[in-house]
Amino acid sequence: MTSKAMNLGSSKLLVSNGIDVIIRIFLFLFAVIVLVPLAFMLTASFMPSSEITQMPYRWIPSQIAWRNFYRALAGNDGNFIYIRNILNSLFVSVTVAFTTVILSSITGYSLAKFHFKGKNIVFMGIMMTMMIPFEPIMVPMYMVALKLGMQNSYQGLIIPFMMNAFGVFLMRQYLQTFPTDIIDAARIDGCSEPKIFRSIVLVNSGPAVASLAILTFRQQWDNLMWPLMIAQDKKFKTIPTYIVSFAEEKLSDEGAMMAAALIASIPVIIMFLTLSKYFVGGSSVYSSGKE
Amino acid sequence: MKTEQQGKKRRGVEQVQARWGWYFVIPAILFFAVFSFYPILNAFTMSFFKKNMISPLPPRFIGLGNYIFVLQSPDFWNSVRATIVFTLGTFIPLVVASLLIALLITLQGKNFRLWQLLYYSPAVLSSAVAALIWMQIFTPTGIANQVVNALRHTSGVDMRWLSSGEMVQLSTMIVYFWKYIGYFTVLYITGITKIPPVIYEAATIDGASRGQAFFKITLPLLKPTTALVSIVAMLQCLKTFSTQFLFTQSGAPKAPINVITLNIYNTALKDYNVGRASVMSILLFVTMLILTIVQLKVSRSDDVTY
Repeated sequence: MTSKAMNLGSSKLLVSNGIDVIIRIFLFLFAVIVLVPLAFMLTASFMPSSEITQMPYRWIPSQIAWRNFYRALAGNDGNFIYIRNILNSLFVSVTVAFTTVILSSITGYSLAKFHFKGKNIVFMGIMMTMMIPFEPIMVPMYMVALKLGMQNSYQGLIIPFMMNAFGVFLMRQYLQTFPTDIIDAARIDGCSEPKIFRSIVLVNSGPAVASLAILTFRQQWDNLMWPLMIAQDKKFKTIPTYIVSFAEEKLSDEGAMMAAALIASIPVIIMFLTLSKYFVGGSSVYSSGKE
Repeated sequence: MKTEQQGKKRRGVEQVQARWGWYFVIPAILFFAVFSFYPILNAFTMSFFKKNMISPLPPRFIGLGNYIFVLQSPDFWNSVRATIVFTLGTFIPLVVASLLIALLITLQGKNFRLWQLLYYSPAVLSSAVAALIWMQIFTPTGIANQVVNALRHTSGVDMRWLSSGEMVQLSTMIVYFWKYIGYFTVLYITGITKIPPVIYEAATIDGASRGQAFFKITLPLLKPTTALVSIVAMLQCLKTFSTQFLFTQSGAPKAPINVITLNIYNTALKDYNVGRASVMSILLFVTMLILTIVQLKVSRSDDVTY
């Protein structure tokens, strides 16, 4: 049985050769439609603004407008605040990913491998927070942040997203299958609990840690609402909020806007292309990709 | 005596471990107490008070005053309408289209990863960037108009994607659909490929034709996945903010797309009315909570587990 038939059982159930091709043509056309806006961003960012608004849109720039990128980075005031915003986004997203991994792992480890009274209540409690999405609590969270003096600061951007229940869930799932004997052996050898966690459990949880880190990074990169609320000072804005203020003030500079969009997307695009398995189908079910 | 000592030692060891178990979860307990439980309780409490965000005055208890105002406010009901229109108009095409695409991808049997990556790529962009790109596409001279004109053999017709009340709603739906189509296609493909081939083989042995196998096996077994996808899509649509925010900040009419999240944001941070914002937050929360509970029930009865 060829693996072409892997997913739908007997090859008798797959469509005949002719229809195969028709389906692929349709899928291809639709994929092209889906990719058009991305191609637009890519091409328009290198085009002078006057060309972008030409009808019909000529996909190939007549000259590479590097000035778009210059103006995008220089920002509305010409002080290159965008560069700082990009660094902010990177710093915040990386830190959030880092803290989420550490804290979710330690919590998941405890919930998976330890036994103490009230463990189930704690677990249920944490899972219940998954039912509390950010949007309904943005106002009280903002007020808490104000009270703690966290506005316009890195702590303000990072701390409220320092961990999340989904991460705890993921790590607990993963660590439940971690061989307890190794942990027990380390205990018998006199290893302290924190050291066990650090040197044995965490080190050997590569796949789960990587998935969680990448997922969290990407989520935080996208975060518009919270930085919008908490960072009024331009020095602390992140990429999405910069894009908002840029759009508000420079809507007519199409080239610079698209360049700003492209710059904002480069890290995640690179991640997507190189680490695609974490975004789409990390499970082994997708081994049919090599067909 | 030896066993008594051993018993004590074992209990001691267990106690030490139990303590470490607690130490390890304390950060989480603190965090979720401060950033999840306290805020939702606070939102609930504040909905009964009158408080100005930037005023140092303490909140004033007004009972159901905020609720009465909000539930009688046309602006609120407009937000409800806008949210419902957006959610239904986006999640239904999303669920249907992603199912179709997932089926097509599995039927042609090859390059699953590649197809999924292609459709998924818009999801990788941040929503602010996506909105920015589409704002440009929807401008009067943008490619959206060019495409529509080409298809209808007209020329120079401006669909007013961002200026007309009706069109701007469609525009926000298009952006969201574009961004998430790949995500739900991937979810469906997971569901489809988890159907054990054995079932199809058994059906073939029993003499089932291709069409019968599809309608009597694939589709029914996808019901739980579809239910799950639908709820997740609905929840995702209820959370929409960036697209509507960016469009309105750049001059699009607000009323048609004043979804509830946008309304909460503006009520709290532009009108500084914490009490009313809290009412809307609680109403939104209850809606999402109901959907989440339904989602949990559905995924539990799911044969095709994730």
